[in-house]
Amino acid sequence: MSEHAYSDAKALDLLNELERILGSDPLIDEVGFVHPSQFSTLKEAAGGSASSQDISEHENTNFWIRDHKLGISTQVLLPLYKAAKHAFMAALREYKTSENLPGNSGDDSLESEIMSHSKALLMLSCDFGTAWNSRKFIVLKKQLLPMFIDELLLSALILSYAPKSERAWSHRRWVIHTVSGNSILQRIIEGESELVEKIAERSKMNYRAWNHRCWLVSYMTKEQVLHQLEKSRNWASLHVADNSCFHYRRRLMLRIFEDVCHTQADHSSGYNLKFYNIWKDELDWNEALIKRYIGREALWLHRRFLSSYWIRHIATDLHGVSYQFDFGSFIDHELFLLDSCSTIPDDDFEDFQAQAIHSATYIVWLTKQIHEPQRIDIQEKLRARDLNRLLNKTCPERSSLWDCLEASQV
Amino acid sequence: MPLLFYHIRPEAIPKTRYLMGELAADKHVKYIISIEKKKDNFESVVMEHLRMNGAYWGLTTLDLLGKLDAMMEVLFVGGFAGNIGHDPHILYTLSAVQVLALFDKLDVLDIDKVSNYISGLQNEDGSFSGDIWGEVDTRFSYIAVCCLSILHRLDKVDVDNAVNYIVSCKNLDGGFGCTPGGESHAGQIFCCVGALAITGALHHVDKDLLGWWLCERQVKSGGLNGRPEKLPDVCYSWWVLSSLIMIDRVHWISKEKLVKYILGCQDLENGGISDRPDDAVDIFHTYFGVAGLSLLEYPGLKAIDPAYALPDDVVKRIFFAHRHCRSDLSLARRRLLLKLAVVFCN
Repeated sequence: MSEHAYSDAKALDLLNELERILGSDPLIDEVGFVHPSQFSTLKEAAGGSASSQDISEHENTNFWIRDHKLGISTQVLLPLYKAAKHAFMAALREYKTSENLPGNSGDDSLESEIMSHSKALLMLSCDFGTAWNSRKFIVLKKQLLPMFIDELLLSALILSYAPKSERAWSHRRWVIHTVSGNSILQRIIEGESELVEKIAERSKMNYRAWNHRCWLVSYMTKEQVLHQLEKSRNWASLHVADNSCFHYRRRLMLRIFEDVCHTQADHSSGYNLKFYNIWKDELDWNEALIKRYIGREALWLHRRFLSSYWIRHIATDLHGVSYQFDFGSFIDHELFLLDSCSTIPDDDFEDFQAQAIHSATYIVWLTKQIHEPQRIDIQEKLRARDLNRLLNKTCPERSSLWDCLEASQV
Repeated sequence: MPLLFYHIRPEAIPKTRYLMGELAADKHVKYIISIEKKKDNFESVVMEHLRMNGAYWGLTTLDLLGKLDAMMEVLFVGGFAGNIGHDPHILYTLSAVQVLALFDKLDVLDIDKVSNYISGLQNEDGSFSGDIWGEVDTRFSYIAVCCLSILHRLDKVDVDNAVNYIVSCKNLDGGFGCTPGGESHAGQIFCCVGALAITGALHHVDKDLLGWWLCERQVKSGGLNGRPEKLPDVCYSWWVLSSLIMIDRVHWISKEKLVKYILGCQDLENGGISDRPDDAVDIFHTYFGVAGLSLLEYPGLKAIDPAYALPDDVVKRIFFAHRHCRSDLSLARRRLLLKLAVVFCN
């Protein structure tokens, strides 16, 4: 059947059916647009778990629902979208007019119509900002906690098929910010981290997802931050190319550092020592990963951060801790790492070549970050290694950068 | 319950390409005009909230190709216009202002109304919200600064504070994120560096450090990625390249390899440019590809300003030319331009 064959009345029937399905199963946790030919694949994939009555009740060629999974046929998308948009816009116009009438506090049935149409519309067009906004307006007016929680569920449902939807992520932040005075906040935050991990698992290096998790850090308690650092470690070691996860760890570590600076006034050197150990642990763990996974850019960038921060702040800023920072032996250790990574056993083996480039740029980058007179020390030690030749050979497209660095050393 | 639909999605079908070598300018013009005419399928209607941005991408590309006239007719028959009935958002405001600037028709705007809308979105910490619902992002800072500068109304906001907020989003790698503590991303870096360039505050940028991060975005194929370990994508030819130009470090990448990469992403048969060779083309990547080539001084293209993302001659006209008297606009034209303006003024 062609898309144009749908009359307005038929399209409205489709919309009603979609809204009925959405209303009857509030636990739907995934939506997919499915070509009609794939409906049979779905039946097989879902297996024979449901009773035959369930199947006959919900099965037609337009929608498919089972185990809280909703499939929508790609053939009805256009008429369905048009009907949903039309119904939503009409209800919204009417609502705005009634809102403006003196003495009117809004119409309950219009509000539920908007909630229902906007939900259907967002299933089809996840970044339809006006639909998200109308929901915010109504939820804010009602001030009922369960309604706020429902918004988180809807956003999660949309993210199940559109994990990069900016509006869906932003809607979550609006909900969390709005309920942040409520005691439920801490529970929500735990759930958010799990959601991001679940989405990041199948939507690799999803900037929006990780950005959301970074945003949450400022709402976390001290304990939650420490717990998150512990918890995200395993995920990171299984996804060593995902720079976003390592950035999340950097964000957590900087937050811990801020907390340390605040508590310094209380002379709680125990916490300082804990922090020192966290940083040292991260450096050791990162080194182990670098040696296990050859040539991963994200791991080396993480090391740039760890080392430069270590030299600049931790060694000098943490007072009252009974350790001596030995700059010389730290650098010797890094140079040892460089030497073990910059030999290319076989020119054809790309990973080792990448490892050599990353290790060489790491040490040159770090040198730039260190102030004199320590910088001169390292430059002396690097001169013997002739890194410039290595960099110019393995990475000729950045030769101007290498030349510029060499010139600045003179 | 594990995800179900995720595993049964059909894979995108690769397109056949001809050998490449040079910019197929005429094909791209045809492609841009053709999208405007074809709007009744699901893929295009669900993008309707972006129509204003689409107008900017399409029209700027045509101007860089020296073919803006080709669009005049299509546009004034009804064309892109804005989308009435949608809530205003700062994202659409910039595209609309840029489109009007392209046509030298900023005078159809109620400039005070637009600039009041933008300045009303500035928060106490100097950041900007995208709309009344309060989402904050350094992209919105760029849009606010860029729009107000084009409209000669930067004095309507606290510029120092706006700069302070952007600086607070700087990371230890020299890059910038959406909010303080957010991961560095080439698109966000463009917004932050662009806003700092427009406000004369580039001294806040550690040029060597940021330049280093940006030039490491170039991968073996010559293309640029937007973050470490990501695949290259034509759109970063714009975000990374313009940032490198603004901080004077563009010589740190190989321009020749990048030109080759962009040209390799053309659909030589039907026009348009895609994110990577052999992917499907779209208007967004067509604009960024052509704009990137313009920054790389590819022959036959107009020069584009790296901060304002508008052709150089348009920027010169905005800031250096005296406003001439309003030319005779036909009624149809004026009606259309007002329609464009209404999106963000309602």
